Amino acid sequence: MIAAAALTRVFGRRAVVEDVTLEVARSEIVALLGPNGAGKTTTMRMLAGLIAPTSGRVSIDGVTLTRGTGTALRARIGFLTESPGLWDRLTVTENLRVYADIYALPHPERVVAHALERFALGDRATTRTAELSKGMRQKVALARALLHDPDILLLDEPTSGLDPEIARSVRHLLEERRSAGCAILVSTHNLDEAERLADRVAVLHGRLLAVDRPGALRQRLRTGRLIVRVAGDASPWLSIACRFDPHATADSGALTLSLSQPERDTPPLVRALVLAGADVIEAYAEVPALEDAYLQLIGDRAAGAAR
Amino acid sequence: MKRGRLRALFRKELLEVVRNRAALLPVALIALIALVLPFIVAVAVPAMTGQRLGDDRDFVRVSVAATAQLDLSPDARVQYFLFQQCLMLFLLIPITGAMSFAAHAIVGEKQARTLEPLLATPVTTTELLVAKVLGALAPTLAVSAAGVLLYFAGLVALAEPGVTRAMLTLRTWLLLGFIGPAAALVSLQIALVVSSRVNDARTAQQFGVLIIIPLTVVLVAQFTGALWLSVAMLALAGGALVVAWILLTMVSVALFDRESILTRWR
Repeated sequence: MIAAAALTRVFGRRAVVEDVTLEVARSEIVALLGPNGAGKTTTMRMLAGLIAPTSGRVSIDGVTLTRGTGTALRARIGFLTESPGLWDRLTVTENLRVYADIYALPHPERVVAHALERFALGDRATTRTAELSKGMRQKVALARALLHDPDILLLDEPTSGLDPEIARSVRHLLEERRSAGCAILVSTHNLDEAERLADRVAVLHGRLLAVDRPGALRQRLRTGRLIVRVAGDASPWLSIACRFDPHATADSGALTLSLSQPERDTPPLVRALVLAGADVIEAYAEVPALEDAYLQLIGDRAAGAAR
Repeated sequence: MKRGRLRALFRKELLEVVRNRAALLPVALIALIALVLPFIVAVAVPAMTGQRLGDDRDFVRVSVAATAQLDLSPDARVQYFLFQQCLMLFLLIPITGAMSFAAHAIVGEKQARTLEPLLATPVTTTELLVAKVLGALAPTLAVSAAGVLLYFAGLVALAEPGVTRAMLTLRTWLLLGFIGPAAALVSLQIALVVSSRVNDARTAQQFGVLIIIPLTVVLVAQFTGALWLSVAMLALAGGALVVAWILLTMVSVALFDRESILTRWR
């Protein structure tokens, strides 16, 4: 649906985004992760046609985004900017109405009324946006980005400033849009959200460090540690574990070992424990959190840059 | 340029201006001065001092050029001259007001970061800038028109016989209906050009206010009797202002750099 090919953007002498190739397909949510200054907003802006890439190209359904095609293609995109960017002297309804008219939506009153209802903003319809809380402003901005039912959603920190309940409803809404065939790119710092919401995660730090399913990204970072949970205290079985790993530890109901070849060593270990009388509940390889995978990717990149 | 988008943006600009009391204040003040000052000079002061305007040799001298063709009493001639000159003050209403709004137009949006979502829509630069100019111009023209109506109502009620009729000429309408809006458009466009390149509204206003300098020169020259702008001269000046506005619009569209507005503003 929307694709970036070898996208590079240089400001002065500094390349903020380098050689980013990424595609977000129909009915897919991709989370764009990266530390501050990693080029997430610049990438989003290039995808939205707000700034031109120094090299590379953005295309939507095969049509390259240029000055000539920009006006028509931008109508297919819903863009939530980093800051809500609402006109403070206008009410919530008036803010949305301007955009409904810009997109030439039929029955703009109905569209705005529907958006207010969808985001539970009905009781604030006539409130000037200057009087709204940060979370409410974010909701209005989100309602604005979705107003014209775009095929493509580019959302820069959509749940930033929202309370957990509203953040969850936003996630539900994005899932709903995904089911409706929308291609969604979400920039976020919230790894938990990325893991719950995204079909794929793209880790950006100037360059694209990884693009994969959250689970696959976690798997890449193998700790090599095996956890064996046993009924009751685990310390009586530590000596058996130490035969497989001299540095094994026992922690209340679990033994933790580092195995160089878990596939080979796990079955005899479990067998030995059972034969010795341990009630083994489960044995599993420790899977790192997405956060660990992310931090390792970013750390590797920083170390590479330092060298 | 799509009319629907232009209308939507224009309506939004209008709402913002109407609700911006701080920006409306200078417009209201100038309108008040333009409305009250001539009546104080031409009606109230002579009535309070008992000194007739037609007895003032300086006033009579400077008003000769403007009133030679008119069949008016000496007092009415001077009054006509004063009221006609003070009409120029109404030109300042759209200029001052519109400039104040326009200077905030881009800078204000940059500071509030409202431009980015707008630029992500199909809105074109021309639509954006034209809407901003018209949105700033319309309310000040409305204030100006209301002021002129009150001015003429005051003339009917308080001026010497024949003055009001003598004032209702093509020259007056040219001045108010053509020169005023055209000068305001030029001023607005200058403010917009500057506004899209600088980062504070005051700088934009300082550049926009430059249009007042030639107007003040003309105003002073007329008051001293050194210059009397004929209908032909006014039409020519108005035409030149319209051409200047069109050129400035093209310049502002060319200079409106979406990228630097988004990337160099924090």
